[in-house]
Amino acid sequence: MRLGFPVKVLGQPGLKSHDTRRWQNYPHLSVSLAYLRDIFLYLDRQDIRMYRMAADLAPYASHPDLPGFHHQIEECTRELAELGKMADDFDLRLSFHLPATTVLNALDEDTARQGANQVRIHTAILDGLGLGPEAVVVGHVGGVYGDKDSALARFVERYRQLPPRVRRRLVLENDDGRFSVADTVWIHQETGIPLVFDPLHFQNHNPEGMSTAEALEHCLRSWPPGIRAKMHFSSPRTAMRLVERKGGDQRSTSRLLRAPRPRQHSDFIDPFQFCSFVREARRQELPEFDVMLEAKAKDLALLHLREQVARFAPEITAE
Amino acid sequence: MSGSGEGHVPARSRVLVAVLNSLRDFEIARHQGWYRIPFDRAPRRVGADFLAFYQTKPFAGEGWAVNYYSPIRRYRLASRRVLLPDEPEHPRADAIYYKIEIGPLLRLPHPIPSARLRRITFIPTTLERLLQAEEINDLWCGGLEEERLWLAFKEQGLSAERRYPLREADPEYCLDFAFFCKKGKIAILVDTTSEIENVRVVRERPLVEDYDVAASGWTLLRLSSEEVRGAQPACLERTLDAVEGHGGLLLTAPM
Repeated sequence: MRLGFPVKVLGQPGLKSHDTRRWQNYPHLSVSLAYLRDIFLYLDRQDIRMYRMAADLAPYASHPDLPGFHHQIEECTRELAELGKMADDFDLRLSFHLPATTVLNALDEDTARQGANQVRIHTAILDGLGLGPEAVVVGHVGGVYGDKDSALARFVERYRQLPPRVRRRLVLENDDGRFSVADTVWIHQETGIPLVFDPLHFQNHNPEGMSTAEALEHCLRSWPPGIRAKMHFSSPRTAMRLVERKGGDQRSTSRLLRAPRPRQHSDFIDPFQFCSFVREARRQELPEFDVMLEAKAKDLALLHLREQVARFAPEITAE
Repeated sequence: MSGSGEGHVPARSRVLVAVLNSLRDFEIARHQGWYRIPFDRAPRRVGADFLAFYQTKPFAGEGWAVNYYSPIRRYRLASRRVLLPDEPEHPRADAIYYKIEIGPLLRLPHPIPSARLRRITFIPTTLERLLQAEEINDLWCGGLEEERLWLAFKEQGLSAERRYPLREADPEYCLDFAFFCKKGKIAILVDTTSEIENVRVVRERPLVEDYDVAASGWTLLRLSSEEVRGAQPACLERTLDAVEGHGGLLLTAPM
């Protein structure tokens, strides 16, 4: 089982995830790839074999008003191929998560087209890296717009309109307030799209009352044979937060304590919760899977969890 | 901070300080707008928003100092043969290089000299440090303890070299601080694993063994991060004693 983390590296200062410069300063995918190469070296040093790349790796690549940025992927053919070889040498499983602005099932055609373009760009980068089918682009269903059945149907329709090479990499994750695992399972049955299970989202939004075991099984078995499934894992935040609030005059500030919300991620992963989850999945004899850890402490949370797993559940091999 | 002459540039922007050893490479950087790094010998950190140049001996008045920097536009991969077509017989003609394309060269507000005219390879740093550095050793971004010691040394007028390679052929293995004294050399290694307690992060730089340090003729002072955090004056005193015991500091290091 691989463990991965998203985007930002905290374990070593100064490792940027992508070129964050504004358009006036000529950001470029090739600069992001140079940063990514440095991160890959770090991942290899830490023996981390799974990583989610920044969604903005190719800056402004789909910005409708900045056509000068639209050909970065073609401009980086060689650089992408070399970096892909490095990922392959390091046995790295890579992925993207689409930004929240990507709404494939939008009512507005322009927004939907823009969403499809985002998916195309991300899949094109994975293709350029020459990665196998385990490298995927994770997305959500989108908006409900007051009629969930139509929203689901619209997603299916738009998904079918995507080119086959784009569809091959797109996978679907249940969210924490609109589309449940039952909804994504329905879409899978219609389209065959693989499903990423997010247990925290599931705990927050499961109106059908599906059991965790059932939800996990549906998602893991949705992946094509020969392609290892992946899922997300996070622990809900439990700590109190001290927040500062600006007064009406925008100058004075007051401090208040805020209790956590159930959708918030914690800094680290609860090791006992994680071990129980994996043990239960193994007891059910479900297909093997990799886990993308979503914790505020990013790679530090992964390294910490790995030590805890080795201590408390050595039978679970977590890379 | 607006250092590039373009849009707003955050102070935390990353800078890679690279070496310019020849006038020709300077002319290429200035007129053709690129710099090259062998792909297979690239440093651990090659990604940056800016490239700065440490100029060496051939630059006479501007030598042994960082004088210029430039925003990075693109990284390309190309063979040396493509980059330098007038050298088709070069033994590395088919080797792959990073071609780092840059904007116009910008002069720093003041040069960043190396007091000891030292050889360096690459220094990853930030724009903020580049614009504020007084000398080359200010450029390195160390851990919390390393930075504390560096500032304490500076306050005491103890002139150290940071990240000094143990052996020139293997710059990966380097000392955190090197003191060149009249009667020998003192190496300081700060033992840190991670900035975060209870999380083991593999070091970016490989560990330097005591034996290797001693075998290379250095007197070693190894300081733990706890010592530096909790008893910095004592660490400073140990260093001062060691320097005094070695006859005091030399003005320049042997090259």
